[in-house]
Amino acid sequence: MHPDGSVAVSVRGLRKIFPGGVTALDDVSLDVYSGEILALLGENGSGKSTLVKVLYGVYIPDSGEVMVNISGRLTRVHIREPIEAMRYGIVLVSQVPQLIDKLSVAENLALTLSSLKLKGSTPLSRISRISSVIERECERLGFKIDPNEKVYNLTYTQKQQVELLRALAINARVLLLDEVLTYLPTREKRKFYDILLKLRDEGRSIVLITHKLPEAFEVSDRIAVMRNGKILGVVNTKEITLQEVRSMMFGAAAKLLANDKTTRGKARKASEGEEIVVEGLYVKDDYGRDVVNGANLVVRRGEIVGVAGVAGNGQRELLEAVVGLRKPERGTVRIAGLDVTKKGAKLVRSLGVSFIPDRPLEYGCSIDHSVLDNVAVPFSLTNGLLLKWDPIREVAEKIVSEYQVVAPGVEASLKSLSGGNVMKVIVSKEIESASRAIVAYNPTRALDEVAAAYVRQRIRDRAEKDQLAVLMASEDLDEVLRISDVVYVANSGRLYGPLDPESTPREEVEKLMVM
Amino acid sequence: MKMVVLRRKKELKYGALVVSGLSLLLGLLIYVAIIGFFGVNPLDALTSIARAFVTPTVVKDLLVLSMLGYALLIAFKASLWNIGGEGQFYISMLPGIVFTLYLFNPEQGAAIPPFAVVLLSVIGGSLLAAAWAALAGTIKAYLQIDEVPVTVIMNYVVYYLLNFLVWGPLKGKRTFGYLRTDEIPGVYRLNVRLPMLYISDPALSFLYSIARQVAYYSSFLMGAFLAAVFVWWVFRFTKLGLYVRIMGSNPNYLRATGVNTRALAVATMALSGAMVGLAGSLYLLTELGRLPYELERQTAGYGYLAVLVAWLSLLDYRLVPLSAYIVSALRNAGTTIQVAGLGGVEQTLILIGSVLLVYSLTRFLIEYEVKVEW
Repeated sequence: MHPDGSVAVSVRGLRKIFPGGVTALDDVSLDVYSGEILALLGENGSGKSTLVKVLYGVYIPDSGEVMVNISGRLTRVHIREPIEAMRYGIVLVSQVPQLIDKLSVAENLALTLSSLKLKGSTPLSRISRISSVIERECERLGFKIDPNEKVYNLTYTQKQQVELLRALAINARVLLLDEVLTYLPTREKRKFYDILLKLRDEGRSIVLITHKLPEAFEVSDRIAVMRNGKILGVVNTKEITLQEVRSMMFGAAAKLLANDKTTRGKARKASEGEEIVVEGLYVKDDYGRDVVNGANLVVRRGEIVGVAGVAGNGQRELLEAVVGLRKPERGTVRIAGLDVTKKGAKLVRSLGVSFIPDRPLEYGCSIDHSVLDNVAVPFSLTNGLLLKWDPIREVAEKIVSEYQVVAPGVEASLKSLSGGNVMKVIVSKEIESASRAIVAYNPTRALDEVAAAYVRQRIRDRAEKDQLAVLMASEDLDEVLRISDVVYVANSGRLYGPLDPESTPREEVEKLMVM
Repeated sequence: MKMVVLRRKKELKYGALVVSGLSLLLGLLIYVAIIGFFGVNPLDALTSIARAFVTPTVVKDLLVLSMLGYALLIAFKASLWNIGGEGQFYISMLPGIVFTLYLFNPEQGAAIPPFAVVLLSVIGGSLLAAAWAALAGTIKAYLQIDEVPVTVIMNYVVYYLLNFLVWGPLKGKRTFGYLRTDEIPGVYRLNVRLPMLYISDPALSFLYSIARQVAYYSSFLMGAFLAAVFVWWVFRFTKLGLYVRIMGSNPNYLRATGVNTRALAVATMALSGAMVGLAGSLYLLTELGRLPYELERQTAGYGYLAVLVAWLSLLDYRLVPLSAYIVSALRNAGTTIQVAGLGGVEQTLILIGSVLLVYSLTRFLIEYEVKVEW
């Protein structure tokens, strides 16, 4: 850990208050050393993402200092945009790869480098130079990426690798990784750990944000815990236990995790009623490629069907076709016995089906509007033309209270909330508004452990108590195996299954995911 | 020295009001500087402009532009840029002309009472303008063709269509050689005329002249009031209002919840057009009384001025009357400047342009603040 003991980045007394009065950072001071992996942990809205976004120039702090090690001296800097952060060698890699799908890998990297206005040649000759850099780094790190490949042809893992390559291409000294490893399959994740350790040993600093605590314990040297915008403590990973970290993060709520017994309902009497039936479904993606090839699945009343798979294996398109947002090429989708194929989302919604989309900010909410307005849309409690605002307000307040959404009130606009709290609003309104089925993609994405456990519990409750059918795709294999009654695996457009999660070894499921 | 733009923690209190006021003030200063450069005495110009703000003639424009501002606000809230208010305004006059001069002309023995004819004219005008706007909405929703050029082009279609009708089938018989339709019979006109009084006290005289204007245009007053209440009611209480607001921000969210956003776009444009049509048909029955040839040369450009009104209000329905007042006064200022011999018709455009320029630059102050760091 930080063998030379030099500080790579340091923040002192950072304070950031968002519109609406939410204090995201409250007098935060932290040192990140060269040659260390620092795990930054905390519940939703604790300030982790805000802190790394301040370092990356996405947010400008209201007060406080950011210092960067420049030629061996800690120097106060003003980082006002990501380009400036990159010039100081600070790069943020997020959970959703920030690449332009239509461009090649080399073109994506060239775009970043040209925007940095580094001294050098024209963009075209730079691309050929970049290609050789990519090939060299790929060989060193064990990646299999063709620099001329279009990004949309890459797997999710490869896209994350390209993000890392981009960081290395600009010689990043400080890597800020925001939930980057969360959705990688275990085998890929372990490879990534090795790479992170290699980068650390080269003297680079890595700040790892994750909601997966075991991940932090596996790879980090130190752990910093944030809560309510403050740093509660920074400890050596070897000197603390998982349960102690949980207690720091969640306080009393950590006990809920210890008691979290959300599992598939063994005592459940599965009804025979088939709510969602997919037969021989073929679906294309936005680029016209066949990404779902002959999918078949059945979701019965009171049952949770989980679709496991690495991102980009057709899960998004499959779910969108089920809820009527994407027209399949062939095959049928039946909901409650009714053929809804190519008949649009209106019909599917009218049958009592709710949907948590893969792109929640694009399809799951309106960020400019209040919690109340966002809740009003799917619940649609009306009296003819008029909205019944009183019951809608009751529902919104219940959601905010039960899902512990940190918001000044239901009138607060979503853009004033943290990413995790926005996700809580999106997920909760869909879970609670369903009357027949829930179709969900990554329902616990961006949620902390406590919030994720509550969401899983509510999905299970709605399936068991209200006899809803749940079709859930998740890139989190643990989640799929934990609450699904039946598991399918999506890989390269094919759907493997049904598998019994109790009797199927995890390794077998993983093998199907990456074969 | 470095200038930093930061998002405000809280939106600027009375931000819309501050920005509108600031735009007016700085815009006037720019205007005065421009005309001062060409040798016009700034004090004379400012006096003429100030007079325009308190002249009784501002009442008509204020009320018409309020109605139209509310109409366009509905579409703008959904991010549907209805620049076709001009065309919708004039096409809505067609049913009024047909009903009052041809189908129910009292000289030919109208079968229904005047009130019903007026109602028919207003409803017919609103429906026709709604259909005209819905056509632009349909082209936008189903063919993905941007509504801005479409609505502007459709304005010219209306100009030429009405010119053709006035030149041909609707040409009046008692027009003293002018190319226009006949006058609408008095029983169908909506003006309320108060008697001319000689009042020696200047303040009372001024107030009475305002009262005469308000009475004369009482139909506009009622129309503006109805428009304001309707827009408030739609956005506050109805599902349509909620959908329109959300559509302006993220239509994909509506799509994902099963809302037919194409139909919603058409309906929103139709509603906006219907409200423009209400204003247009009232304008025919209250002010114009006939359709002249070469309509485009004789219009006040209300449809375009209403775009400014809606923008200047920052799509806040409470501020529509205020921004309508500012735009009306500036338009009238152009006239008072000409009357004072300080310039030609271009004065109006420079004046309004200067205010809008400042407005465009300052509106971001509501959400952002500028700090200078040394």
